[in-house]
Amino acid sequence: MQLEKSTVWQEGFLERLEQRKPWDSWEVYKMSYTIAKKQLIDSFTGLQSLKYLPCVKPLGHQLEVAERVIGEMNGKAILADEVGLGKTIEAGLILKEYLIRGLVKKALILVPASLANQWVEELHTKFHIPALLYKKNYELDYVDVVVMSMDTAKRSPHKEKVLAQDYDLIIVDEAHKLKNHQTISYKFVENLKKKFCLLLTATPIQNDIFELFYLVTLLKQGHLGNYEEFSSIFSTKKRNAEQEEYLKELVGQVMVRNRRQDTGVEWTKRKVQAIPVEFTSSEKETYRILSKLKEVSPVFADSFTTLTLQREMCSSQDAVFVTLSKLLEECTSPQEKEHVNAIMRQLVQQSTHSKADKAVELITQANDKVILFTEYRATQLYLSDVLFSKGISNVIFNGRLSKNSREWIKHLFQQKAQVLIATESGAEGINLQFCHHVINYDLPWNPMKLEQRIGRVHRLGQAHDVHIYNLAVQDTIDDHILGVLEGKIETFEKVVGELDDILTTR
Amino acid sequence: MQPQEINEYLHHFFRNSNCEILTQHPHYMNVQLTIEMDKKIMNRPFYWRYIETVGETPNPAKLMLITDIEQLRDGIKGEVLHIGSPRLHQLFRVTREMGSFVKMHEQVSSDEVLTPWLGVNVKVSYRSHQTKELLYSLGINLMTGAVFQDFQETLCTLDLVNEPPEHVFHLPFIIKPQRAFERLDHVINQLIEKEDHQWVDEAKKRWRKDQAVLDYFYEGLDEKPNSYEIEKQAIAERFMPRITIDIINGGLFYLR
Repeated sequence: MQLEKSTVWQEGFLERLEQRKPWDSWEVYKMSYTIAKKQLIDSFTGLQSLKYLPCVKPLGHQLEVAERVIGEMNGKAILADEVGLGKTIEAGLILKEYLIRGLVKKALILVPASLANQWVEELHTKFHIPALLYKKNYELDYVDVVVMSMDTAKRSPHKEKVLAQDYDLIIVDEAHKLKNHQTISYKFVENLKKKFCLLLTATPIQNDIFELFYLVTLLKQGHLGNYEEFSSIFSTKKRNAEQEEYLKELVGQVMVRNRRQDTGVEWTKRKVQAIPVEFTSSEKETYRILSKLKEVSPVFADSFTTLTLQREMCSSQDAVFVTLSKLLEECTSPQEKEHVNAIMRQLVQQSTHSKADKAVELITQANDKVILFTEYRATQLYLSDVLFSKGISNVIFNGRLSKNSREWIKHLFQQKAQVLIATESGAEGINLQFCHHVINYDLPWNPMKLEQRIGRVHRLGQAHDVHIYNLAVQDTIDDHILGVLEGKIETFEKVVGELDDILTTR
Repeated sequence: MQPQEINEYLHHFFRNSNCEILTQHPHYMNVQLTIEMDKKIMNRPFYWRYIETVGETPNPAKLMLITDIEQLRDGIKGEVLHIGSPRLHQLFRVTREMGSFVKMHEQVSSDEVLTPWLGVNVKVSYRSHQTKELLYSLGINLMTGAVFQDFQETLCTLDLVNEPPEHVFHLPFIIKPQRAFERLDHVINQLIEKEDHQWVDEAKKRWRKDQAVLDYFYEGLDEKPNSYEIEKQAIAERFMPRITIDIINGGLFYLR
């Protein structure tokens, strides 16, 4: 065992005996002893940090997570609580505890750029941890707790600066972004020394079980065996209930997941409604023609293009229009061009969209604040016009907004506008508990994106039941997406645990 | 520490470091720092270098410190101190720095003989993936070599003064300080040995387990990649049991 001691005090004492320096005050000496006694960490277990955090009142499940991660999981864990249960608080508690216990001196917190300021602020105000937001040219030698955007950190020359430091604790927020082991982010985190490590994500599986394998392996190599063994057992084709149960248990050793219902907090309900939309006959016709474009020209040959056009048609004519006009430039023969032009004329003639009409109807019925999510920028602008024309006030929110504009838009939505029209990229990290209607105008392929969207509204502090409307056009690609979503939800629940309601059709 | 205790501590601390307390209130205080204290806690070396170079009149800071924000009505603005706030912990550090070494004498009537003692307050920390700390207060009689525990508690019951009382005989110490340090080290080691060290076994058990999982992952590879070495190092740092011995403060005491 290592025994560490210093002789600094002894040397200072001898200096005073030889009268080279003055003695100190007895009163201050006694105070110093009393302080040392009061700050003593008298037990290996339990959270010392609580007495240092009078401004934070952690909830029961947050305390349990912090205790379990430190006591049982040795400070290496995936924090996978459902959205809105306070993973940041849990991570803050763990960081604070390790700082107080002297086990962590330097910590690195990797987050999406849009959340960086929020992290710094929470660490300061709630945890009294002087975290610094990394800026280019910062020297990391003198900064103990640093918050960095992942996109900056993984690139030179910042990457080299990070790797040169000796961090005791690494925290990664929105860790589902590391699901692909071939990305630069994944490789970057893989190369960091992880004495203690917290990966935060509400959605450890987004599409398939291998994402979880890579996430766990990033945290603790070998915990789920190596890739060959894992893939031979858990290929998507053959399923085995017993092995899935075993996997769930293994995952449980490195992952904590609280669900809203087991938090002891009274949660408002989620009321999910599937809203079928029927195309008009002219919309059906356009959809049919778009689906057949691949037969007309090689420009439309790949299945992804068809899929995109189909999805866009289920969203708005404007969305299709944008894509078609780009593709038109690639068309060479006059026949092709004329065919595409004809479709575009058709699109322009259709002055309404059945889904948009349905959305207006839902918003009018709700007669309350509504947040509406679309996948397309063109649809976002189109819907904004439609709503204005019906006298419904609305604001637009997307990933291109700066931090200040985001705050401003949020403020406008809270104070003035009835509807917030958001694209996916805008959904991260904003909290809108004052709103309790969510319209999923377009469905994403990934159920966790839906969960993240709903989580903007259905989180701690929500006082009302939350109404969720999933719009899908019948007999189109929307139906297929619903089917895929259900399959992915099933995988998630088998291995990670139950999910709160996202879809109704189960 | 409750708000009232913090208030008392601050009061005590500033009075003992010669900082004038301008306003004294149960829930807040306004303090005029001395130049020395300003340099210690205000973190503005450039200001002080400038003032001293130019020879201008120094203007050390005044601090408004709030110890119980909940009891205060509007109007008072200042730094809110509570256990955990960086400012308070900074003052704790300064307290330790300013109260590290003392030489004290027991107040006795004349013609008495005072014996020298070396007293130290020692924090012992056990660390692996968890931490526990113990505080020992030891006193060694520099005439006989006898060592007592809970020394500080005993000292606090005595009437101690800075200046030696008149007409009192101070015995010279027989045991030299260096010898006394060695003897105290030995006693601390014995005290540590007597403690329950299950935590070491527990840490080693967890260490072995994590190492086994890691080795399994790279089984069959003749040359292990860098990622193996990084993780192996991380595991060692996580579980390596270590004990640190840290002297909080100590002094020379002449006692009856």
